[in-house]
Amino acid sequence: MTKTSASRLAVPADTRSSARFRSETLAVAMTFVISIILVIASGFISPALGSWSQVYTILTLASFLVVVAFGQGLVILIGGLDLSIASVIMLGGVMVTAWSGSGYPQILMIAAVLALCAGVGLVNALGTLWLKVPPFIMTMATGIIVASSALGYTSGTPRGVTPELFTWLMKSEVAGIPTILIFVGLFVFCGAMLQGWTSFGRRLQAVGTNISAARVAGLSVSLPVVAAYVISSVCAGFAGMMLVGYANGATLRMGDSYLLPSIAAVVIGGSSILGGRGSYIGTVGGAVLLTTLGTVISALGIEQGWRTVIEGSIIIAALLLLNETFMSLLGGPARR
Amino acid sequence: MTFSAAKETGGSRAVPVGRKGGGAVADLLRNGTFIVAVLYVILFVVNAALQSKALNINSVTNLVNNAAPLAIASAGQALIVISRGFDLSVAGVVSLTNVLIAAYPIKGPLGALAALAMALSVGGLVGLVNGFLVVKLRMQSIAATLGTMIITQGLALVILDAPKGSVADWLADEMTDRVFGYVPVAGLVVLAVVVLWLIARRTDSVVGLYAVGEDEGAASLSGVPVQAVRMKTFVAAGLLYGLAGFMLSAQTATGNPNAGTPFLMLSFAAVSLGGVSFSGGRGSPVGAIIGAATLMLLQKVLFSGGVSSFYTGIFQGAVLIAAIVFSGLISKLGSRRGMT
Repeated sequence: MTKTSASRLAVPADTRSSARFRSETLAVAMTFVISIILVIASGFISPALGSWSQVYTILTLASFLVVVAFGQGLVILIGGLDLSIASVIMLGGVMVTAWSGSGYPQILMIAAVLALCAGVGLVNALGTLWLKVPPFIMTMATGIIVASSALGYTSGTPRGVTPELFTWLMKSEVAGIPTILIFVGLFVFCGAMLQGWTSFGRRLQAVGTNISAARVAGLSVSLPVVAAYVISSVCAGFAGMMLVGYANGATLRMGDSYLLPSIAAVVIGGSSILGGRGSYIGTVGGAVLLTTLGTVISALGIEQGWRTVIEGSIIIAALLLLNETFMSLLGGPARR
Repeated sequence: MTFSAAKETGGSRAVPVGRKGGGAVADLLRNGTFIVAVLYVILFVVNAALQSKALNINSVTNLVNNAAPLAIASAGQALIVISRGFDLSVAGVVSLTNVLIAAYPIKGPLGALAALAMALSVGGLVGLVNGFLVVKLRMQSIAATLGTMIITQGLALVILDAPKGSVADWLADEMTDRVFGYVPVAGLVVLAVVVLWLIARRTDSVVGLYAVGEDEGAASLSGVPVQAVRMKTFVAAGLLYGLAGFMLSAQTATGNPNAGTPFLMLSFAAVSLGGVSFSGGRGSPVGAIIGAATLMLLQKVLFSGGVSSFYTGIFQGAVLIAAIVFSGLISKLGSRRGMT
């Protein structure tokens, strides 16, 4: 595989991939169909559910996960895993509230916080590239370092002001449509283009499929790796700011409930946890499905524990459906 | 791949790991267990210098009691890492066994035995599920155990939705006490794990475990029953997590559905600190046990050194990264010297 052909891999080359493409599209369609069925079905159980306003609520709640899971998806695509995002979400949220009202222009301050988050991503990337620390250990370590620093910085209680920009983003409407949904729509479009249709996306895929083959093919390996981790951290930091706008404040545990779902959304969306394969649209489907499930379950009064159990079971089920050995045991067509 | 073939290669003990030449000193330096033991002794001396009470029998007992749950869990994690896998379910199993023991306390020594049986069966069962997913369905260990971790964590929340409940008095008192006035019971439990390992070390299964971790394909070709070895490893690790949950319950005397969460990061830190290589096939659970003890001692030293407890995470994270980088350097040096 030469450099030119690698960057022009827009059309999948091998013969099996059309079948794979079909089954992946099917999986993505499934996540959306299940979400819609869940919303409609919940309308029968409780009259408060199943309405358009519930759909808006679900999509708004899903927006955080959609943003976070984009970065997580890129890191998983290159064969890594980002466990630091819970702390980076918190970092983004805590710092943006702490620095708001400090007199500097809002945009500058937001950029500074995002740069701080990007720094965490850079450390993650350099640790895995240079120090050869396994990705999930590296990101777990930076995660705990960031969490501990934030705990010390705030002495346990984050204080500050919510920046107006994020209050506007989360709570206003443009032409009757919530601003956040327009934003997420654009974000998903750009994200899907970046991951699926640019040579940058193909490079990430090449690194994730086989890092030494990518090296031999003359691709720069460090650049995609650094980009994936930095984007992941910036997305997480931004999601933290969105959460601040939504909840009107930051807490030290605000990121905790997004770490595992971000991995789950990527896996449910049909990406390979080993890297090298995955689409962002699939991830978005996974995020919407998880959020729908979460809201429906909590509306039904099912307690947090069972919710977590169901979430874990869905991850295993999704992994099983993507699993060749399991599918061939069922007698279905073996997939690769 | 028949089992009799496996017996033959297993019997020949074809896999003495990591011995690639060099002198006795080089051998010691390459031995992660030795390095971490030295580190522990240094930290212990520092701690004693910072705090005169550190050599007091009460504080030594406390130190052992604090370290025992993590040490046992890390021994289990070490087995999985040696087989070149990752086990995230440790967090869920420790939480689940803890809330079970706290939510259903049974009085007296027999009750403690029942609690132990419960903890071990929960751990063993989760290990069995992990093994099934990884061995039979060929899932990646990190993905499969992520699923089981979330599920067991959820079950723990179902049983206790917040920190509450209390562990039976006999269990909480006796397991944190001393026998003969000087020997902490928790220390004896850890010692029992070490002795079990020393006995098991020469069995076919453990020799096979190292072979599988070093090179699964080669192990399979030379007749190691790879699937059976991996399965046993997951079950053994699960049993150890259950025991860790049991010891944690005795120490905290209460139930907390998130009790196991810190074990995830710390068990990996202990494993890498203890000289177990993440590329598989090298290190031992004993190293991981000392690694865990070192981590807990580090917390104590930081505390006596006047570092705010807010910042302990920074040191833990840094130690984790440093340990991996350091062990990587050591093994690189070792193999280079082995080649010349």
